[in-house]
Amino acid sequence: MKIKKIKGWLFSLFTFFLLVSVTTVFQQSATADGDYAGIDVCRACHQKNYDSYLKSTHAKAAIPGNPANKNSCESCHGPGLAHVQTGGAKGTGMIAFTKKDDPEMKQAICLSCHQDSTAVPFWNLSRHKVNGVSCSDCHSGHSGTKNNLKLAEPALCYTCHADIRAQANKQSHHPLKEGLMKCSDCHDQHGGSGPKMVKADTVNELCFKCHAEKRGPFMWEHPPVAENCLTCHVPHGSNHGKLLSSKPPLLCQSCHDATRHPGTIYTRFETFPGSATSNKNRMIARGCLNCHTNIHGSNAPSVRGQDFVR
Amino acid sequence: MKRQIFLPVLLFGLFSLSTAFAEEQQEQNKFSGEISAQGTLTHVNGNEAKFNEYGDVRNGLYGDVKIKYDDDKYYVDFYSRNMLYDTQSYDLEGGKWGAYKFNINYSEIPHNFTYDAQTFYSGAGTNNLTYPTHTPSTNTGTWNTFDYSTKRKDYSAGFKLDVLKPFFLDFSAAIDERKGIYPIGAAGTNPGGISLELPAPIDYKTNSINLLAGYVRNPLFISLGYFYSNFTDSDTSLNFRNPATNNTASVTDTYSLPPDNQFYKINLKGALKLPLNSKFNVDLATADAKSDAVLRNSYVDDIVGGLRNITLSTPFFNGEVITNNIATSVTSKPLSFLDAKLFLKYDDRENKSDVITITDATQTPATFTNTLFNYRRVKYGTELGFQLPANFYFLGAYNHSTISREREDIPDNRDDLFSAELRWKGFDFLTARVGYERLDRRADFQLTDPTDIETFIRRFDAAGKSRNTYKANLDFFPADNFSISLGYKHRDTNYPDTVLGLTGDRGDEFLIDVDYLINKRIRLFGSFDYEYVRQDQFQRQTTGTVDPSLPPVPAAFNWTAAQKDENYSYAAGAEIFIVPEKLTLLLQYSYLQADGSVDYTYLLGANPLPAGRTQDNIDLSNWDGYKLTCVLIKLSYNVTKSLSVAAGYVYEKYDYNDAQYDGYQYVPAVTGTNGAYLTGAYNNPSYESNVGFMTVTYRF
Repeated sequence: MKIKKIKGWLFSLFTFFLLVSVTTVFQQSATADGDYAGIDVCRACHQKNYDSYLKSTHAKAAIPGNPANKNSCESCHGPGLAHVQTGGAKGTGMIAFTKKDDPEMKQAICLSCHQDSTAVPFWNLSRHKVNGVSCSDCHSGHSGTKNNLKLAEPALCYTCHADIRAQANKQSHHPLKEGLMKCSDCHDQHGGSGPKMVKADTVNELCFKCHAEKRGPFMWEHPPVAENCLTCHVPHGSNHGKLLSSKPPLLCQSCHDATRHPGTIYTRFETFPGSATSNKNRMIARGCLNCHTNIHGSNAPSVRGQDFVR
Repeated sequence: MKRQIFLPVLLFGLFSLSTAFAEEQQEQNKFSGEISAQGTLTHVNGNEAKFNEYGDVRNGLYGDVKIKYDDDKYYVDFYSRNMLYDTQSYDLEGGKWGAYKFNINYSEIPHNFTYDAQTFYSGAGTNNLTYPTHTPSTNTGTWNTFDYSTKRKDYSAGFKLDVLKPFFLDFSAAIDERKGIYPIGAAGTNPGGISLELPAPIDYKTNSINLLAGYVRNPLFISLGYFYSNFTDSDTSLNFRNPATNNTASVTDTYSLPPDNQFYKINLKGALKLPLNSKFNVDLATADAKSDAVLRNSYVDDIVGGLRNITLSTPFFNGEVITNNIATSVTSKPLSFLDAKLFLKYDDRENKSDVITITDATQTPATFTNTLFNYRRVKYGTELGFQLPANFYFLGAYNHSTISREREDIPDNRDDLFSAELRWKGFDFLTARVGYERLDRRADFQLTDPTDIETFIRRFDAAGKSRNTYKANLDFFPADNFSISLGYKHRDTNYPDTVLGLTGDRGDEFLIDVDYLINKRIRLFGSFDYEYVRQDQFQRQTTGTVDPSLPPVPAAFNWTAAQKDENYSYAAGAEIFIVPEKLTLLLQYSYLQADGSVDYTYLLGANPLPAGRTQDNIDLSNWDGYKLTCVLIKLSYNVTKSLSVAAGYVYEKYDYNDAQYDGYQYVPAVTGTNGAYLTGAYNNPSYESNVGFMTVTYRF
């Protein structure tokens, strides 16, 4: 009953917003006014920043709407005349894009131009926005690096996501630390409707982009595989081979407890040096996967395929 | 050898050319770039495949080249890394500022599993594995060797058109080739029987194209996308002679390899700004995956000693899975202190593949079909953020999801997820967060037959559960040159309905990150991460009664397993600017240790444990345990603005210890039919490496 009420409430709100959208009048973007000092004045004191600005795409006059076509430095940092007149004093309204500045204010400055970019139409859905991350935490308005990133991936992402760094350093991992993959190969840091900001509508769709051989569709399907790769795998790193969340046979036994071998307890006695005289091949090496390798699906005949052993 | 001759010549040529360009273009400064050559000396003791799992580090000369042309209208960037090695990549990007961009890329990714694996089969790497006599030789000295290794080659190109702003067009195409040998396993007979580890050929090719067109100008974004991917496998089956059956050389067993498939997706995305600082977002997609396979109407059977024929309703399998996705949301900031989000997401998977009727006299019932898996998921929820006094920010969220799936045991799930986070930024130099999340999953369980063990199993992917997660973070940056981050996370999952299966999953993680720049001369950095994970299972071994509540007997009893993983890693380093912007020394040390174990308990009551076993000697103290130690020393010297040199040394030691590989045998000596013919895949990956390198970089 309670849940029903919440559902009703949520849908009422949702409908309200949709109705509002019908009556939308395209908003006019506000124009800023102020006293500008000009780029040459900025250069006089900030030569190093001026030089790095020239290396950036922001300095390209050929790009419509670029700072180079507006007020250069002051397009982003704000009108600087008062700053100049007070001899470079702080507290004159200049925006330095430091950690201390309000993230929303910093975002708003960038979006005043980049809202017409294809990169950030869904920034409002990004967890980064919700968590108070601003554009300038990752991008520099000055540098000449690709996408103006302050650091290369994954080091840039690890500055906040230290837990992911710890995962990615585990023995089983995607080749991130080897520099052959990037976080942004899978994630859209600017937001989207996929889970965990991945660049796909579902986890499986994302994984199949590189692992297309697992896409099937197979005659014999393994339902948890078809539903979500993350039932058995973790994406960022694992102590267990193949990025598995646990280790066979125990991983498989979490779901498959039946008469005969799926329910059998496999212990130290079933390892290579163990004294057991049977069942060893369900424990040694890759455990269940010694026989059931085609666990992602099979087209083999009869129970050979149904049991994923061919 | 070709690489050793070609690469120095190439680098020398580019160096000469760059010098000429540098002189010619100095004033205009349109050309810039960097050429670096690195000589590497490598010594590896132990498993070279694991050392180079995704790499190609060896004795030799490595070269990287960056060339950039940039004027007021046009730009071109070329970047190549590790030229002529297995990790090489080449990227060419360019365009006209504000008008269009293009890119052409090539890269390789090796994945090495095991070198010098062994098999009694000949033909490793092909789709036909043979051997001469009925019983394979167990003398591994006579076996053939091969490497388990794959290499991925990616070719891609793209074009983006911006000149028609606010309209845009984005087109890209890619070819992904993967070749090599991969370990697979097959049961010699079924059910049970020996295990056969087989080298399977990988010869995949995936062609894909991506087209995106749309319009973007405040307040509207709309795009239409099309994605097509075509996967082909040169070997859709692997033929092998099966030593577990009473076979002859003319009777080949067959292993099914991935079928060719095609995937299409059409996607419509939109975003519209609304009054009250609001935005409406929509993402609609439909996708279709298809495959086809010729089905075999027989299989090798140990009982008949040859091929057992089966009857299929159709000799072909046409697979088709359609997926649909609808995601809509509204975000809003109607008041300066309020952020709100409402969302609704729907996705489904409709399996329209062929249902094949199979008649196999060995099975009960003799006639059966494949089952098609479908699901439908609806998720909706809200998120509200409040800017509170004293620089507090509160974020609360709730979402509900229902999943309906074609599955006999748990067809439905209903999830309620609540979360709350409190952030505080009371000082410019400190941000603190605490968060809590609660998941309640209800599962409709359908099976009721007390004589079927399935009635007692709750599969963890869909079982009812409750999960509590607590998080705390502290980011402290008292000065621009000093920062400390502390993080803690606790997760506790219980499966209250589970009788057999995973009953609990809990974890704790603690991490620290420190970075300190002293007087612009020394940067000290360090990190520490500790993680503990425990998973508990309750299981039943039985050849008799299935009800776990019945008193135990030797043929039917319960048992438990507790898997524990304890990891800790730390890293410490110093970057010492001996002569600022001239001479820098980098010292770095890192260590990672993973201790895995399993505690088993026989729940046999007064019954004795099997011969020789006690509750203590059955446990596993090495369960994917390893230690990884790395040391890096690097000295860099900028000779001039254009020329720099660096020299360094990297030490790495990886010690792996796991109960499943201890005392590895290619043909385990067991009686009965539970033996195995293994090939050494993943065995003994430990290594110790010493790498020295010297790099010369010239910038122009």
